Amino acid sequence: MALPNLKFGELTAKLPIIQGGMGVGISLSGLASAVANEGGVGVIATSMIGMRDPHRAKDPEAADRRGLIDEIRKARAKMTDGLLGVNIMCALTNYGDMVRTSIRERVDVIISGAGLPLDLPGYLRDVSDELREEMRTKLVPIVSSGRAAGILCRKWFNKFGYLPDGFVVEGPKAGGHLGFKAEQIDDPDYQLEILVTEVIEAITPFREQHQKDIPVIAAGGVYTGEDIARFLEMGASGVQMGTRFVATHECDADERFKRAYIDAKKEDVTIIKSPVGMPGRALKNSFLDAVATGLKHPKKCVHKCLHSCAEDQSPYCIAQALVNAYKGKLKNGFAFAGANAYLVDKIVSVRELMNSLKDEFERFRK
Amino acid sequence: MSDVAAKVKEIIVEQLGVSADEVVDGAAFVEDLGADSLDLTELIMAMEEEFDLEIDDEQAQKIIKVQDAIAHIEKAVG
Repeated sequence: MALPNLKFGELTAKLPIIQGGMGVGISLSGLASAVANEGGVGVIATSMIGMRDPHRAKDPEAADRRGLIDEIRKARAKMTDGLLGVNIMCALTNYGDMVRTSIRERVDVIISGAGLPLDLPGYLRDVSDELREEMRTKLVPIVSSGRAAGILCRKWFNKFGYLPDGFVVEGPKAGGHLGFKAEQIDDPDYQLEILVTEVIEAITPFREQHQKDIPVIAAGGVYTGEDIARFLEMGASGVQMGTRFVATHECDADERFKRAYIDAKKEDVTIIKSPVGMPGRALKNSFLDAVATGLKHPKKCVHKCLHSCAEDQSPYCIAQALVNAYKGKLKNGFAFAGANAYLVDKIVSVRELMNSLKDEFERFRK
Repeated sequence: MSDVAAKVKEIIVEQLGVSADEVVDGAAFVEDLGADSLDLTELIMAMEEEFDLEIDDEQAQKIIKVQDAIAHIEKAVG
């Protein structure tokens, strides 16, 4: 059996594979368009997207807006297939602006987590009013529990008469910031298989009552075609993968960032306490060692990027550390990575990666 | 105690599973009553449903303590 497609309402991706948004700068138009062209959903990460703008320090919001428009248009220009998404973290100070800009630029899907995107449908309504046209961007929250999925369905429906167009369910094996307490990360009760089942249960009454198909996408630690098959068998409609896409030629990060994945051993994949107050999964390096031993970096907050950042108590600026990592300057930054990043052993093209996932899936489902 | 205050406290007790004597005006939802962000969202939703009003996200962020919730609802229902 071949991999099925993935539908968000009237939009269809040929493959049920979403490339997870990876900020800062790891998934921009280069990676997103390559994934879309292979039939998947390519996702641009919006955090600090205007980082290369020479005027960002003066007006970060305007720089990020210009950066986002530029990346969306560049991706569209290269795309011949697939769907284009953006990932927008609720914790961003310019969340509303990133959402409105993405809808105006007609991205296919907005994927939004790092908090509950309680007001997301309101932006769709506002931009539709502004442009006097019904905007059709699909709204897909990221959740880490059935409870959160149920709350979002209820809240969105009560307030906006709108149900989510899908859910990404992110388990504790994901890379980057995690929606779990540190002690839950290795607790079997929170493994992705259980969360996917929980979310499907939580949304089933809404699906049935409102006759809306709400696809559930499994994320966090999905690595092979066999993994994809397992989650589809459990009732997921697709998967979101991040780590695998880092090790591609098309990934927008510096080659040294990709190299860090290839060089990583199992013991290098570690959990850090991020300055934003959540645990995160990253690759150990000299920068993180220095942070762990209490080495304080100068604190100056120029980015004002996150609501939840305790900037006066942070040992370092995570935005700057991630910008440095994106540029390959890993002495002054670090790479976020999924739990399976140590398995990565070579850089391939997105096409090769997609083909191997398809082959593995087909072999498993024969 | 006003009717609104009594009702708000009743909702808090029910939603957070805490005992009524913990729900004093000065109690903070997160620090004192052990609520997480999902609890807070559900609490706001329960109050919206009970009093038939809308509390937007920005206003909700400012509701830190029991007295903030009571003040907000009392003002809203006039």
